[in-house]
Amino acid sequence: MVINSLLLIISILIYASFGVQNLFFILFSIISAFFAGKYINNGKHKKCAFILTIFFNIFILVLFKMLPYTKASIIAPLGVSYYTLQIVSYLVDVYKGKYEPEKNFLNFALYIAYIPHLFIGPISRYENMKTCLFGKKKLTFENILNGLLRISFGLVKKFIIADRIAILIATLTNGDAKYVGAYALASMVFYAIEIYADFSGGIDIVLGISKMLGINLEENFDSPYFSESIKEFWRRWHISLSSWLKDYIYIPLGGNRKGTLRKNINLLITFTVSGLWHGVNYIVWGILNGIFVMFGDKWKTKYKTLNRLITFIIICFLWSFYICPNPVTAINMIISVFTHFNYADFGANILNLGLNLASFIVLAIFTCLLFIYDGNKSKLLPKILNAKPETKVALIGLLLICVLVLGIYGIGFNVNSFIYSNF
Amino acid sequence: MRKLRIFFIIIIIILILLFFNRLLEPKYATSLVEGSMISQYYNESKDHEVIFIGDCEVYANFSPMVMYERQGIKSYIRGSSQQLIWQSYYILEETLKYETPKVVVYNVNAMRYSEPVSEAYNRLTIDYMKWSKQKVNIIKASMTKEENMLYYVFPLLRYHSRFDELSLEDINYFWHGKSNTFNGFLVNKNVKPVESLPTQKPLGNYKFADICYDYLNKITKLCKEHNIKLVLIKAPSLYPYWYDEYDKQIAEYAENNNIDYYNLKNYTSEIGIDFSTDTYDAGLHLNLNGATKLSNFFADLLVENYDLTNFKNDSLYEKKLIEYKNFIQ
Repeated sequence: MVINSLLLIISILIYASFGVQNLFFILFSIISAFFAGKYINNGKHKKCAFILTIFFNIFILVLFKMLPYTKASIIAPLGVSYYTLQIVSYLVDVYKGKYEPEKNFLNFALYIAYIPHLFIGPISRYENMKTCLFGKKKLTFENILNGLLRISFGLVKKFIIADRIAILIATLTNGDAKYVGAYALASMVFYAIEIYADFSGGIDIVLGISKMLGINLEENFDSPYFSESIKEFWRRWHISLSSWLKDYIYIPLGGNRKGTLRKNINLLITFTVSGLWHGVNYIVWGILNGIFVMFGDKWKTKYKTLNRLITFIIICFLWSFYICPNPVTAINMIISVFTHFNYADFGANILNLGLNLASFIVLAIFTCLLFIYDGNKSKLLPKILNAKPETKVALIGLLLICVLVLGIYGIGFNVNSFIYSNF
Repeated sequence: MRKLRIFFIIIIIILILLFFNRLLEPKYATSLVEGSMISQYYNESKDHEVIFIGDCEVYANFSPMVMYERQGIKSYIRGSSQQLIWQSYYILEETLKYETPKVVVYNVNAMRYSEPVSEAYNRLTIDYMKWSKQKVNIIKASMTKEENMLYYVFPLLRYHSRFDELSLEDINYFWHGKSNTFNGFLVNKNVKPVESLPTQKPLGNYKFADICYDYLNKITKLCKEHNIKLVLIKAPSLYPYWYDEYDKQIAEYAENNNIDYYNLKNYTSEIGIDFSTDTYDAGLHLNLNGATKLSNFFADLLVENYDLTNFKNDSLYEKKLIEYKNFIQ
């Protein structure tokens, strides 16, 4: 109880440091959802309370998603995209009687405002958090080591891979007309690696901090670039969002229970919501993902590697809708890959994109290590977790040295915040 | 046993970090040699009667070896690039921990700067200072907005990006730096005559900032406390960065505080400086020729006006003089 109260105070203080005015929105969400949850369980007008609370919370989220496209200079409260979905899932589950509402206000406040996952997710479910967040914390040496190890992995991904690629992406997307064809293809591939290293690195840090405190948050990635279809990719990428969309949008719409046409419509609606959740600019990206998911696994060949390669290429093309300011630019970018055969020019200029040879070598080595680890995670992870404490200490030290020496940070670098903290 | 193994691993990790900390730090041995000047003082004998402090106008324009040869003066230049007045103060304070000279010569050019100019210049002055109260204070006083004390405590955090530009210099000078000066004088033999000079731009306000006066007062007080004669100078330079209004303020300050002030530009003809042969950068700084002339003049001036000892035939200085002569030939 003391640790939970302390965690809540620390979370609120850190949250307030990003803007005291943000506290108003998160407190509104916490208070409204907590009392609505209790009322829904026993009250007479539970449907009305349920709809109104959901409406107001979603309204705040949509408002802040739309504001960047107006002249308003208001910045969305930190984590509004994440905690709103948590509140919706909680209220829906309580309304459906899946579980009893939380009786302790401090516990509920901690579930919503637990600071590590407000930055970048994952979107945690109440039933999972109840046991690990509200229960007795185990501050053990093993948890601390495993947490530090996870944080070290995250720091390597963020500072050695993602922020290094960010330098290339900044050059390749600076609007220069020469960056078409091979350059466009390179920017898509680089961005695919960057966003994965950045997002999963951030999640590693969040999970690592939580692990140190004895809190086991859900995994958010499962080697997504080893997927054999886009459908599979969405089961392995941003798992907490995908599963939330499945449980609270796709299935309530009817899922696949009402025929193929309805299933496809439901998929498109779900992925449109996914795009909208990322921002109005990402709706086309969401719909395109929905279309590829509609194709399912039907096109797959018997060769796993070929399926993975095709899926990765499609994902790279889809990321162009993420990189570009609008869908037209993204389509032109993709078309240029097939119309501008400037690969020799790209090869000659690759060292003029912001990274020198040594930096490229570092990027290549660590990207390879990341993919080797992802490809063999089922074998490597248990070995790492079951390693002797001294081996873990050595590995943590080695990774931190790599980050300190090879990371992109400090004066002279434009340090990028986590991409997904913007959503 | 397990705890011991973990302890041992942590020690190894710290040693590796220290290794990279040193490896990635610029050595300032063959390029940007100005960064190594402050540290060379620590290897010197500490029996100087004259200490110079200030910016490039001291380390480029005065040769202690010439002054020794001329008048037997033992002097040292604790100068560095764009040395700001608060940096000069803390460097003087540090110097006085090692020795008490009879005369401190301060070049007033830095009175023009009321705030830190750039991180790069800060680094050239501060990087190789020994850790002390003075180093902490000099960092605090000098940091630009982007800088952080941690970057000075752990240079790795600042210089990690050098990993892709490491050279043999970083290996060769890993343990010990290279001595690039003769008692703080950075020899430059190049000749670049004056051709044209920028026009002097009028300023809105010529008054030196309060912070500069504060530190000048501190320097004055420190010298008085140690019974040191403070001498203010302005080295000769043709570039129009030193205004008459500046000169009047310094002259007034010197008079009010009973300090000698010499604007050496006014003595150019007596010194014999010819800016077609005696400058390496078209009139901004003096080259070896010019510095030799100025040092001879200034050595005479010091001996005439201040009670300095003639150390001629000092074995260490005689050896240094031979090295110096061999170097400049």
